[in-house]
Amino acid sequence: MTSPNASAGDGGSTDPPALRLVAIDKSYGALRAVHDAELEIRCGSLHAVVGENGAGKSTLLKVGAGIVRPDAGQIWSFGVREVAYDARRAQALGIAMVQQHFALFEELTALENIIIGHEPVRAWRAVGGIDVAMATERVLAVLQELGVQLPLHAKVATLGVGDKQRLEIARALYRDARIIILDEPTAVLTPLEATALYATLRRLVGDGRGVVVVTHKLDEVETHADVVTVMRRGTTLATRPVRHGEEVARLGGELVGGEPLPELRPRPPLQAHEAGGVRLRISELTCGRGLRGVSLEVYAGEIVGIAGVLGNGQSELIRILGGLLEADGGELVTGTLEVVHEDRQTTGLVLDASVEENLVHGQLARFSRWGLVDDARVHAEAMARIERFDVRPRTPETPARALSGGNQQKVVIARALARDPAVLVIAHPTRGVDLVAARSIHEQIFAAAARGTAVLVIGADLTELRLLCGRILVMLRGRIVATLPPSADDATLGAAMLGRDAGASN
Amino acid sequence: MTARSRQGALAVASALAVAWIVFALMVWLFGESPLVVGRLLFEGTWGTGYGAGQVLFKATPLLCTGVAVDLALRAGLFNIGGEGQLAVASLAVALVGARVGGLPSWAAVPLLLLVGAVAGGAWAAPPALLRARFGAHEVISTIMMNRVADALIGAAFGAGLAVAGSVRTEQVAESARIGRLDLVAHAFAGSAASFAFLVAVALAVAARWFMRHTRVGREVALVGQNAEACAAVHIPVRSRLAFALVASGAAAGLASAGTVLGYKGYYEIGLGAGAGFGGIAVALLGRSSAVGLVLAALFFGTLQQGGLAINAHVPREAMDVLQGVMILAVSLGDAGVRRALAGRSAVGVTA
Amino acid sequence: MSNSLALTLGSETVRMAVPYACAALAGIWCEKSGVVNIALEGMLLASALGAVVVQLATGSALLGLMGAAVVGAALGAAHALFVRRGVDAIVSGIAINLLAAGGTRFVLRALYGSSSNSPTVAGFQRAIAGGTSAATFVLDSVLSPLTLTSVVALAVTAGVFAKTRFGIRARAAGENAEAASSLGLDVARLRLAAVTIGGAIAGIGGAALAFDQHQFQSGMSGGRGFIALAAVIVSGRRPGRAVLACTAFALLDASQIIFQGKSRASHDLVTALPYIATLLSLTVLGRRQRSTVSV
Repeated sequence: MTSPNASAGDGGSTDPPALRLVAIDKSYGALRAVHDAELEIRCGSLHAVVGENGAGKSTLLKVGAGIVRPDAGQIWSFGVREVAYDARRAQALGIAMVQQHFALFEELTALENIIIGHEPVRAWRAVGGIDVAMATERVLAVLQELGVQLPLHAKVATLGVGDKQRLEIARALYRDARIIILDEPTAVLTPLEATALYATLRRLVGDGRGVVVVTHKLDEVETHADVVTVMRRGTTLATRPVRHGEEVARLGGELVGGEPLPELRPRPPLQAHEAGGVRLRISELTCGRGLRGVSLEVYAGEIVGIAGVLGNGQSELIRILGGLLEADGGELVTGTLEVVHEDRQTTGLVLDASVEENLVHGQLARFSRWGLVDDARVHAEAMARIERFDVRPRTPETPARALSGGNQQKVVIARALARDPAVLVIAHPTRGVDLVAARSIHEQIFAAAARGTAVLVIGADLTELRLLCGRILVMLRGRIVATLPPSADDATLGAAMLGRDAGASN
Repeated sequence: MTARSRQGALAVASALAVAWIVFALMVWLFGESPLVVGRLLFEGTWGTGYGAGQVLFKATPLLCTGVAVDLALRAGLFNIGGEGQLAVASLAVALVGARVGGLPSWAAVPLLLLVGAVAGGAWAAPPALLRARFGAHEVISTIMMNRVADALIGAAFGAGLAVAGSVRTEQVAESARIGRLDLVAHAFAGSAASFAFLVAVALAVAARWFMRHTRVGREVALVGQNAEACAAVHIPVRSRLAFALVASGAAAGLASAGTVLGYKGYYEIGLGAGAGFGGIAVALLGRSSAVGLVLAALFFGTLQQGGLAINAHVPREAMDVLQGVMILAVSLGDAGVRRALAGRSAVGVTA
Repeated sequence: MSNSLALTLGSETVRMAVPYACAALAGIWCEKSGVVNIALEGMLLASALGAVVVQLATGSALLGLMGAAVVGAALGAAHALFVRRGVDAIVSGIAINLLAAGGTRFVLRALYGSSSNSPTVAGFQRAIAGGTSAATFVLDSVLSPLTLTSVVALAVTAGVFAKTRFGIRARAAGENAEAASSLGLDVARLRLAAVTIGGAIAGIGGAALAFDQHQFQSGMSGGRGFIALAAVIVSGRRPGRAVLACTAFALLDASQIIFQGKSRASHDLVTALPYIATLLSLTVLGRRQRSTVSV
């Protein structure tokens, strides 16, 4: 399964590319997501688009798929300039995108999700009745080509994440997609599943289709991709064939623009005598079908991580700890507990409110006397927190909506750490955050632990977990199934996440 | 003027323009000249002292219900139960008011204002509870409460609450009455305008101050913006929602000050009807500022009084149509301005 | 309860259920495609007037029914368009209700000089000619053109959403508009179509209201549109169950005849029954979409 060298695939540089984006600009209000970006996609190759979180990759590819309309720039397909390019037109051209947040309809069946928009109709066309038999036949053919199986008449809500992803790819094929774009596809997969996915993608490329993978995982690029485009801060830097060996190091440098960041040394695991008392103890926590009995302990000054494919109970655990969900059973013993939730935009911040309001969100009681808010004190405290956590821009009246992902996350963390809680639970600390801000956030987490806070980090990014944590717990199907040191390799961790011994095949 | 209030002014201005056009169309339908009828409307309202006074009188309950709807809106709730809340409050005020003869004015009037607020708040409590405990849609529950109020009040009157041979309660005590404005401002001679108007203005100011400067008020607004984020920081969301709805009902209940205490001196079925829905228009036009609410109330009060003045030419129901049109026009104007500022969304989906 | 009283109650229930059921079906077309519509009340009211005006002008009950459907569809389309242009769905619904209330009184004054009643209309011919037994009344109600039309509407609603192209796409648009749009579906057009069709069905209910009373009375929708909305919520947007819930409400409505002749006070209290029942139904059955946030 090694990637073929770059000159494989269709006609090379003589034929016009299937899709060409030129000088693309896209801003969301004050945020410039993409500017002056260029991209060429050809059939018959596996093209990786890399960049750190927040570099604009998703946005650029959404423009390519017609889902997002650019503010400026041109879109060409097969040498023809496109005017009024939208999702419909993209589909007609055979361009399909599997987004990070799946475009699936939970209440519809798998079959309905695949055929939607291209449903075969029965003889009585006028009324539009769907020909279920024909639909099933066609879909089964597609599934066979993909080499997967799916329960066609089950509601999508009942399917697991891996199945949902396969569903999306099946839909792209059902629509005769010639170019399939996948946005961070392996974010929700175990290492073994990721390998299987790339095998499937290789097969599609072999059939003459073009595959684009948006990712920030450089090792995947080196192993699987034919061509790579590097993006940084919204613009495309370079596009070139993938060479083995030095790729990861080179790409890493390009990603941050030359100045290498000094390596953040991972903390050595906490010695028994260094740890303080237990600050968080969970015993046999259960909740519906999501949590089946979770038990763990975190000591003061420790940073413990929970790894696992998303959807194995992590969300329920976080919500229970944050008070948004009631557990059915089990025990939870803790001191002051602060939670940084998974989705900062819906749960962490009030986007329309100012940075100042968000910084003291939920803490107004401390700044009020007899029910009246002391605005001067609020302002002073907000400025202090902005300074301490390096939130930019430094103007507290800015609406939270206008901040970059990294700064938004800093606001949420600043609020959580403001009063030195006994326990900090933080989910996906640097998802959607640029590298510099990520560094800053990691430093804050270390600092909190040094002050004696017990930290629980929940995430899917194994690199981050290895960097931060003294020990890593693995969560599967609502239970903690393994405890591993940060030195554990991908295979071991991946196997634990799947519930198997290392070395077993998918 | 900040950018936001400029947008707001634009939306209001365009709404007024649309309203004028619709008015003209309706007048033409009846074979009259819009300019002539328009002038009659003006003369019947702001053209005389009496007319102006009547406008103030009609604006008083509208301002109260406008504050009520606005309060609920800040929390993201729609209180359409103003009709029922003010009817129940008016009945309560009339009944208690008839029995406070022994008290001096400075005690009786505040007491009755409190009664009105409590009664209105109490009538909003069931929907508040349903919303907080069961997540039941307050639009449906507040409207149901309106109808239940109608039925219960009708039944109460039928069961002997009314003064014999009529459909009204007994008179409230003299000390409980709120004085007419024409006692001090002779310009308003003969009109029903009372100091209750000042009570309403005070209510608007107080509500605004509460939302801006108290912790509970701020939390209510935050809940309206993002309830989940509030739950995440342990702001008691259900509690704040219920509070907003009950406070809204209390504000609506204060509308009884103008109709019962300041005007008739008793309650009869139908007194104050229409103010509940009128409050919705006032809140949407008034854009959450005390000044805006007062101006909006005066505007719709003008329409109502003016409608009476031109009734011979154009049915006064036309004013109800204008009310609905203005609600739409302001909202469309708002949406249009919002879109122009944000730039067209990339995903071609709205709603 | 005597036999004939029971049969009368039954036939009244069927007759009164039609406006509720049609409004509820309209609500389902809207909710399933993702448009919040609290203007069912206004649609019923305005289309009731439409039915009367058209029959008075043309003499035909069938044309009256069509007129009502057109009015309902027009209001539905207007609502969909306003929402598309960025007006909050609930504000638009409130505005349409107010416009219907004021507008119908205005038109009533303009056309017939009264602001409370229209002249009487004949409505549809009785399905079973002759005969005055209670059984005849029941058959008459069940077989009346309006009842039959609403049954057809129920079948069409259920069938379209489950088995047709349009139905799947509308449901997708209602569940996840962004995803639907990214897949190339024209969400705005789907919603416009669904809400307009729903409006037409509501129009049938309005015609039933007016023809049942043989005239238009100001405010005659009496909150039914909101009760129908509650039925939609309570039934989880399922057409069959919604109609069942509506029949239950209609039964409460019809039970007023049992109390005829009793005191005024008890009569008033009975009129409150459907509304109280609605409130109660919202408690246990009317949970909003269950979210994991405990608010």
